[in-house]
Amino acid sequence: MSTTFLPCGEYHQSYNEDHAWWQTKFIKCKMVLMMLVLFIGIPYVSDSYWLSVCNQIGYTVLGALGVQLLIGFCGQVTLGHAAFIAVGAYTSTLLILEFPWPKFLLDLGLAYPISILIAAIVAGIWSVLFGLPSAKVKGFYLILTTMAAQFITVDFVITQYISQIGGRGQAFSLPPGTIKIGPWVINSDLKVYYMMLVLVILLTALVVNLLRSRVGRAWVAIRDNDISAEVMGINVVQYKLMAFFVAGFIGGVAGAFWISNLAAISPEHFPWFWSLWLVGVILIGGVGSIHGTIFGSIFMVVVMELLQMAVIPLASSYPKLLMDFLFIKEAAFGLAICAFMIFEPNGLAYRWWQAKNYFNLWPFSY
Amino acid sequence: MDLFLMTLTTGIMVGGIYALVALGWVLIYKCSGVLNLAMGEMTLIGAYVTLSFYAMGVPFLLSLLFSLVIGFILGILTERIFLDRLIGQPVLTVIMVTVGLSFFFKGTLEFIWGTDTRVFAPPVFSIEPFRIGQIVIGQVYLWSFLAAMILLVVFVCFFKYTRWGLAMQATADDEMAALSLGVSARYVYAAAWAIAFMAAGVGGTLLGNINGLNISVGYLGLLVLPVVVLGGLNSVPGAILGGIIIGVLQNFCGAYLDRYFPGGVKEIAPFAFMAVFLLWKPFGIWGWERIERV
Repeated sequence: MSTTFLPCGEYHQSYNEDHAWWQTKFIKCKMVLMMLVLFIGIPYVSDSYWLSVCNQIGYTVLGALGVQLLIGFCGQVTLGHAAFIAVGAYTSTLLILEFPWPKFLLDLGLAYPISILIAAIVAGIWSVLFGLPSAKVKGFYLILTTMAAQFITVDFVITQYISQIGGRGQAFSLPPGTIKIGPWVINSDLKVYYMMLVLVILLTALVVNLLRSRVGRAWVAIRDNDISAEVMGINVVQYKLMAFFVAGFIGGVAGAFWISNLAAISPEHFPWFWSLWLVGVILIGGVGSIHGTIFGSIFMVVVMELLQMAVIPLASSYPKLLMDFLFIKEAAFGLAICAFMIFEPNGLAYRWWQAKNYFNLWPFSY
Repeated sequence: MDLFLMTLTTGIMVGGIYALVALGWVLIYKCSGVLNLAMGEMTLIGAYVTLSFYAMGVPFLLSLLFSLVIGFILGILTERIFLDRLIGQPVLTVIMVTVGLSFFFKGTLEFIWGTDTRVFAPPVFSIEPFRIGQIVIGQVYLWSFLAAMILLVVFVCFFKYTRWGLAMQATADDEMAALSLGVSARYVYAAAWAIAFMAAGVGGTLLGNINGLNISVGYLGLLVLPVVVLGGLNSVPGAILGGIIIGVLQNFCGAYLDRYFPGGVKEIAPFAFMAVFLLWKPFGIWGWERIERV
């Protein structure tokens, strides 16, 4: 189970040691250092622009985590995850805007956190609803039903019905000051950044812990061969639906988190493109790896930002280019997916693993 | 009653176009086992190429022919560059490559032609509607249906009577046996993609003639997925029947359900129907049922 390299002569003496997250002092130091960099280093050195890039990365991680859980660990391919993110975002927004919150909750700043939780649960249930066909179909057919989830949820239910609630027209805008956690009003990139960091760490920990439990092992068994899993006594349908619930839950949190960064939410924020983008992120990062989710998110967001930076100087000579950047981005994304699938199907996480192994085993690299 | 008949005929006519595009899809799946999600963009490419030639003053049929030639070349290139290396890879990998391709095509198309709606000007088909008894049909629909039907017959004849078509059928049936009989599977895959591109191009041109051409016509190309699921993934007659059923269903939903659920019922109905249909009969009407063993 354990993939950590230990120094010579050190052995695990109990299961708890074997399953521990941070097994050596070196790793502990490394993780503490990483936390310091994340919580203090990055906000200290980066300006508002780079913080917003970090927030974008965090949002992508949150969204892709659910996709990774479904595709990478449970083998249920989903091409409609943006629908569940949208459900989370809209539930949270509607709760904040329309629900008659008691005064003391508003004063304590609990309205938004509670709405995040409810949004996540609603998104999870919605996800289970569209996961139900997985009891009967799999592979390509399941892809089609998740696509249907996207079109039905975003293009029909949300656009035609949910958006009409309250007569605000297409976009829901949140008045400033409504998004408040405890005493802090989330109104700057820095605050969004800290919130993102806490959520990403919490949810990553949740997923990693689930994966080391009985539930996670059942998911992996279903991914590897669902018939064998059933023969071994795993209730396949129940565990698949559980995977859909957890994935939807995470998606809901992602959506509810992202409204803090958007001035107004509308169905255009959750297009089919975004679902495919999330799948592309985990494919580029590496399927079946939590590291991969994070690497993929960083890679995609940063590469797109760099692409944009490269386009801006060119734009002075070709003004059309700036307007067409969205299309270039789409085409580049498509090519990146194709290239990764053809030349590096294991993703960035595999490269990371190779590099780590090289240094761990050095100088005897065999 | 008039509304009913008219919706039915329009549905059948549009369904013919869907059937044509679905035929290309089924062909790729049968020959090479690739589940293609880039079909919508393939219809767009054909349509835009035809439109560009037409806008330059080339006669319609000739520009359609040019678009077929370009579709043929693009099909072979796509297969050679992207899909050829993926033979034997997991399903998700291949599907995601087609998704990547669809983004690549879409981005390139938007970059070249922009996102504004373009129309075939002057109109290819006269606006004067066609009357049979009480039923009124737009000429566009009628001619599109006829063209789709002619092409379907041509394709079916191609598969039944030509050497190439027989080779493709053989590969689809049993790749090993076909290889041992001297059929080159690589040529067959390339040919399947070329034909799919051409069929999609014609379908896209016809769809573009109905309502004008913009990126959302690619969404109509996605409708091919409900069609093939309905007919069975590897069945050519199933694709034709499925196309017509989906066309009719879509138009009926537009005509009758729009009152109760205002908005985009017409666009959503095929997908909702597909999701329910999958639960009931996942292998479609004429698809092969796969039996799984550990």
